[in-house]
Amino acid sequence: MDQPVTHKPVTWDTSKMDVKRVVDVIRVTPETNTSRTPVDKAPDPELGHDVIPAERYYSEAFMKLEWEHIWTKVWLLGGRADDIPNPGDYICTEIGKESVLIVRQHDGSLRCFPNVCLHRGNRLRPEGIGNAQMFRCMYHHWTYGLDGKIDRLPDLCTFPQGGPPGMTLPSLPVTEWNAFVWFSLNPDVEPFDDYIAPLKDHLEPYHPERMAWKRDVTVEWDCNWKASVDAFNETYHVQGIHPQLQWYLDDVNVQIDCYERHNRYLIPFAAISPRVAMPSTIPPAIDEIMRHAGMDPADYEGRVSDIRRDVQLFKRKHGKAQGKDYSALNDDQLTDDYHYMIFPNVALNVHADDIMMFRQRPHASDPNKMLYDVWVFELVPEGEPWPERVKHRRFKHGERSIGQVLDQDAYNLPTVQAGMKSESFPGLWIGEQELRIRHFHKVLDDYIYGPGQKQPGDM
Amino acid sequence: MDLGLQGKKAIVVGGARGIGYAVAEILAREGADVAISARGEDSVKDAVAALSRYGTRVVGKPCNVKKADDYKALLEWAIEALEGVDVLIPLSSAGGGMGSEKYWHNAFETDVMGPVRAIEAVIPVMTQRKSGSIVLVATTSALEAMGGPQAYNAMKASLITYGKQLALAHGKDGIRVNVVSPGPIEFEGGNWDMIKGTMEKFYQSQLRQQPMGRLGRPEEVARAIVFLASEAASWCSGSHLVVDGAFTNRTHF
Ligand code: FES
Ligand SMILES: [Fe+2]
Repeated sequence: MDQPVTHKPVTWDTSKMDVKRVVDVIRVTPETNTSRTPVDKAPDPELGHDVIPAERYYSEAFMKLEWEHIWTKVWLLGGRADDIPNPGDYICTEIGKESVLIVRQHDGSLRCFPNVCLHRGNRLRPEGIGNAQMFRCMYHHWTYGLDGKIDRLPDLCTFPQGGPPGMTLPSLPVTEWNAFVWFSLNPDVEPFDDYIAPLKDHLEPYHPERMAWKRDVTVEWDCNWKASVDAFNETYHVQGIHPQLQWYLDDVNVQIDCYERHNRYLIPFAAISPRVAMPSTIPPAIDEIMRHAGMDPADYEGRVSDIRRDVQLFKRKHGKAQGKDYSALNDDQLTDDYHYMIFPNVALNVHADDIMMFRQRPHASDPNKMLYDVWVFELVPEGEPWPERVKHRRFKHGERSIGQVLDQDAYNLPTVQAGMKSESFPGLWIGEQELRIRHFHKVLDDYIYGPGQKQPGDM
Repeated sequence: MDLGLQGKKAIVVGGARGIGYAVAEILAREGADVAISARGEDSVKDAVAALSRYGTRVVGKPCNVKKADDYKALLEWAIEALEGVDVLIPLSSAGGGMGSEKYWHNAFETDVMGPVRAIEAVIPVMTQRKSGSIVLVATTSALEAMGGPQAYNAMKASLITYGKQLALAHGKDGIRVNVVSPGPIEFEGGNWDMIKGTMEKFYQSQLRQQPMGRLGRPEEVARAIVFLASEAASWCSGSHLVVDGAFTNRTHF
């Protein structure tokens, strides 16, 4: 493999920022990249400098526009494919006021139905995963097969009009990709491959199917879903609410790439932020990274600034013996956070050994509330037994900790939501480090108002 | 009070940052020629450049004290570059750590053999000149429970014993040896700077335990070290000075 050389995928001038040092990060370049995941810096879109109106975070009218133009139109993340391997296995998941059933068929394919009985509208199943021979409504026992067809309608003869059209639940688009299942409330949605482009190349090399559930949590947050999306779309807040991460990652030398509707940033991990003085001892969180890779930090003779590269080299050398196949990943992917946003509501921190992802769902009726799903998956080394699936837990913000870093994000968001409603706050004043936020809202605008059709005065 | 450091020649091992740098700076400011060494090439270069502003001779070279031969060569080079040596202050340290036997080897090589090898290099020169002063730097972690049982604390403790016995043995040669044990010291890029950033609660609890409500600064320890190293402390030898803002609980009878 070629020796990675230094190049400059960062668009802002780090030397003029509030930093203590200027750091030249060693990076994989398009020339030295060995992965199908591209490292090329995408040209930054021209998105202007307008304020992003705060109203869209609390207006019920805007929430309605989102429902009409986004949630009922796009592809949505439903769950993990390996939760439903056998016929009759299903995922019941909610989005806004809707709920769907994603069901494994006898032939191995998937079908998706609205989770609502055609008789008087009862929900067929509560949210969660399970297995069913059939879906029998609790109310009057209308019974549906795995394919959504009504197999039994008690006293059919008492319905002079007959059963509902086709005697079947309507089918919704559903597909499986990269260990996850995706569905759409839009029967005419574009092909999934078109929608997800260009992320197939980006994310498939991580082989999420080799990773097992580590954490499955849903937290009810008191903020608009977009406030959460924004919070994970920039590293500018690290120096604000996550000071400890400055001894763990480089929040300044971040590459941002915006695509058609999705975007990403690449953050060097196992690194020291240029915002703090270089320590002479190994910070605890980086010590942890080294141990996880199989290194003994006590044995490390290099400088703290060399650790990131040395962890990459170590993993490259010893991964195979540890049952970890890193062959599809480039060296940077062995340490760094490649962080993706799949429009509209999925944030993924993908790493060689794990994926930490968030699904950010709107509340059914209140723009000031949302559901924050935390899904963590960990690579299962070859030869090791597949761990038992973790149990899903759901609670309200503040009832339990979700870990130091996410707690820091979580405790901040209700005050953001409250402040945004102030009449003296017109909207978000966005900087270059927050380009992904601007891009996300531009994509949102294009869905809601039509491409480039947003007018001055629109929310 | 005149420290009598004008024209003296001092070697500071671990002199590029923290207490070591503060020591080197006071020495240079007081008119001494200074040779420094540390692990990082850049940090040594930066420190030499900064220390040169006081107008004395300042030289420096990077060195890993664990590499005995390199280290001995470095010490010889320093004595030669300074054309002698009056003061030695070896502060090299591998820092703390638990959970691997390797930490004991690191602490032994760096915290113990770092000073020991430096002392062996300067004693013949000082004996010949019938004058010299050595200050070893231990830690209050050697005196009281701090950060859990670990190699750093135990290895640093050995310097207190070794320092006293050196003083007994070399008094006749005109060489004074003293030990300074600093409490927690905070400076940019230091451990406590990182702890403040990464473990805010623990840091605050440390502050609450401090009688003066703060941690020490490098120059506050460095002034005590330089005093003991200087002619002004001509009757101080074999002493152990705790510089901790009254942090340790025990009474130092
Ligand atoms: S509502 Fe489902 S059977 Fe009546
Ligand atoms: Fe955050």
